[in-house]
Amino acid sequence: MASSSSSGLTFKLHPLVIVNISDHYTRVKSQLNLPPSLTSTSSAATSNNNNNNSNGGENNQQKPPRVYGCVIGVQRGRTVEIFNSFELIYDPSTRSLDRSFLEKKQELYKKVFPHFYVLGWYSTGSNAQESDMHFHKALMDINESPLYVLLNPAINPAQKDLPVTIYESELHVIDGVPQLIFVRSSYTIETVEAERISVDHVAHLKPSGGSAATQLAAQLTGIHSAIKMLNSRIRVVHQYLVGMQKGDIPCESSLLRQVSSLLRRLPAIESEKFQDDLLMEYKDTLLITYLAMFTNCSSTMNELVDKFNTAYDRHSRRGGRTAFI
Amino acid sequence: MNSVEGLLTQIRGLSSTASDVLSLQNVLKQADESLHAKSTRLLPFLDQLDPSKHSLGYLYFLEACTAGPVTTESASSFVLIIARFISSCVAEQIRLAPDKFISVCKRFKDQVLLLEEPLRGVAPMLTAVRKLQSSTEHLTTLHPEFLLLCLLAKCYKTGLSILEEDIFEVDQPRDLYLYCYYGGMICIGQKCFRKALELLHNVVTAPMSTINAIAVEAYKKYILVSLIHHGQLSTSLPKYASGVAQRNLKSLCLSYMELANSYNNGKIADLETYVQANMEKFGSDNNLGLVKQVVSSIYKRNIQRLTQTYLTLSLQDIANTVQLNSPKEAEMHVLQMIQDGEIYATINQKDGMVRFVEDPELYKTCEMIEHIDLSIQRLMTLSNKLTVMDELISCDPLYLGKAGRERQRFDFDDFDSVPQRFNI
Repeated sequence: MASSSSSGLTFKLHPLVIVNISDHYTRVKSQLNLPPSLTSTSSAATSNNNNNNSNGGENNQQKPPRVYGCVIGVQRGRTVEIFNSFELIYDPSTRSLDRSFLEKKQELYKKVFPHFYVLGWYSTGSNAQESDMHFHKALMDINESPLYVLLNPAINPAQKDLPVTIYESELHVIDGVPQLIFVRSSYTIETVEAERISVDHVAHLKPSGGSAATQLAAQLTGIHSAIKMLNSRIRVVHQYLVGMQKGDIPCESSLLRQVSSLLRRLPAIESEKFQDDLLMEYKDTLLITYLAMFTNCSSTMNELVDKFNTAYDRHSRRGGRTAFI
Repeated sequence: MNSVEGLLTQIRGLSSTASDVLSLQNVLKQADESLHAKSTRLLPFLDQLDPSKHSLGYLYFLEACTAGPVTTESASSFVLIIARFISSCVAEQIRLAPDKFISVCKRFKDQVLLLEEPLRGVAPMLTAVRKLQSSTEHLTTLHPEFLLLCLLAKCYKTGLSILEEDIFEVDQPRDLYLYCYYGGMICIGQKCFRKALELLHNVVTAPMSTINAIAVEAYKKYILVSLIHHGQLSTSLPKYASGVAQRNLKSLCLSYMELANSYNNGKIADLETYVQANMEKFGSDNNLGLVKQVVSSIYKRNIQRLTQTYLTLSLQDIANTVQLNSPKEAEMHVLQMIQDGEIYATINQKDGMVRFVEDPELYKTCEMIEHIDLSIQRLMTLSNKLTVMDELISCDPLYLGKAGRERQRFDFDDFDSVPQRFNI
């Protein structure tokens, strides 16, 4: 279904749209699934609990919900710029779109942003599907050639680029029947200063396995890869020598001479003072790491205990409502 | 008896693959009632089943057999049967019916206690615990039973081996309380006061909705062990202790709190008179041995206080300050403390002077570095687990409901009605 589009339009996507879609999806998903209870000791009977857990597990294995909405923006000449988005109520089983809601929302947005109009729609999923064409056609009476923005909510740590694709619809003749099909288009991300700050903020909230952002981490990564390479090279030489000893590989005296001269060059420094200083510095670094881990752990523990006390202790906190006047 | 025969053939037939065993479990669940009705006559049928291959079926039969009241004659035969079953059963089949396994093991423990031979039950119970737990971080209901048998049989070392493992998952809160309480008692028996303090601390600060007797007893022992090990008792419970415990525990252990107060004053004579006065109270709680250790530890505490004031001191002065009878006794005490590593000092026997020195450990050796490295790795795994738990509880609707309720009703700048309740 997806080949590259030939309409010649350039698309510019704002991060606000991506954040909106992802927020919509996360909200709907977390409202559907009951989170599993924290420990099995917190409720009265474990058998009840096990039932709840298994039900929650089943819910998690159902298909993730699809969310639908509209994207709005401006088209100037051949450039289409998508600025914002809002949610729509759509029932995929009956294929009914809530028109009155859509019109009301359009009116409201027209009041605030008089230049923007509906450019297309969005949804979540891994691939564009046949059933999406119905929604697409339904929107065609608002915009003759709507866009379809698709967000893939599956988290793939190996993937480097954004899981967002923009599809256009084109009339192609397939088997003699003219049909509308989705074709993929390329897009660029365009940011306003406010968007850049907020995206930066969100990205730094959870530094989970991302690329090394700080200088120290970059330097240490360099050293780490250097040591890794040294280790692998030594392993190769070691395996070679073991093979020679076992007799699998024919003996080569020149190579052996080279290896032995290399080995005789080590160790570079050998003295008691050096050992002492090395161990002192090693110990100091380890102790600092230990202290840092300790502080990190204690702060997580502290937050956890606070949350636990708020949630489960009956008389701990009385609401802190103070009138401000 | 036909239904029993039919059941036996089904068990023998359906015990080979995992899916067969699951269907067998459904069959057995339905037949459970009829098995219990014929409980007294089921014993001869047990011989037709092999516990290592037909563990699940054997378990159901065994549970029905032992359902009746326990008598001394039946106890000895059952003890042998159950012990053999525990050692040869298959762990995966057992885990399909954990509550049946737990009730069989509990009856095993009752029978062993009835025969007054707790030592016979220790090894089978250890095997049972290992087979029931899904990982070494999982606390089952059998753990406290096992520790109880170890305590009664006085084989503390086997108990200690189980206590070395860190627990992250608990089935029932009562298991945790009992496990930590018995564990604390075993550690006290082995004189590992640090670990005993940690375990008793767990009982006292565990989440509880109402005060329970295990926590009260544990708190009494906790006070005594804290005095022996640290020489002081922190008067307030940490903030992660439940509100119930913080409010009620101290008032239920008043005489022990008084003991801690008089210990802090450092006067040995006062302490001894107090102990004499309340002897029956401590005795009724079975804490007399601990109390005597507390009294003997006060000398150690006073000597340790001396290290903070003096650099050198004569043995005669030590004897006077610490209220010992003679310099010889003072020398014995100081020597014992140096050997235990509680203080660092050198005794000059010629002029009877003791010189207190600093801790000579420089932490430069390779063993110390390995030790730190291991500690860092343990801390990293703990930190990961804590972050996971933190995220889980942040999504907990109970927490979100209560946190949402505490938002300010009126912001300073705008008068928009900020939603008070976090409506999900």
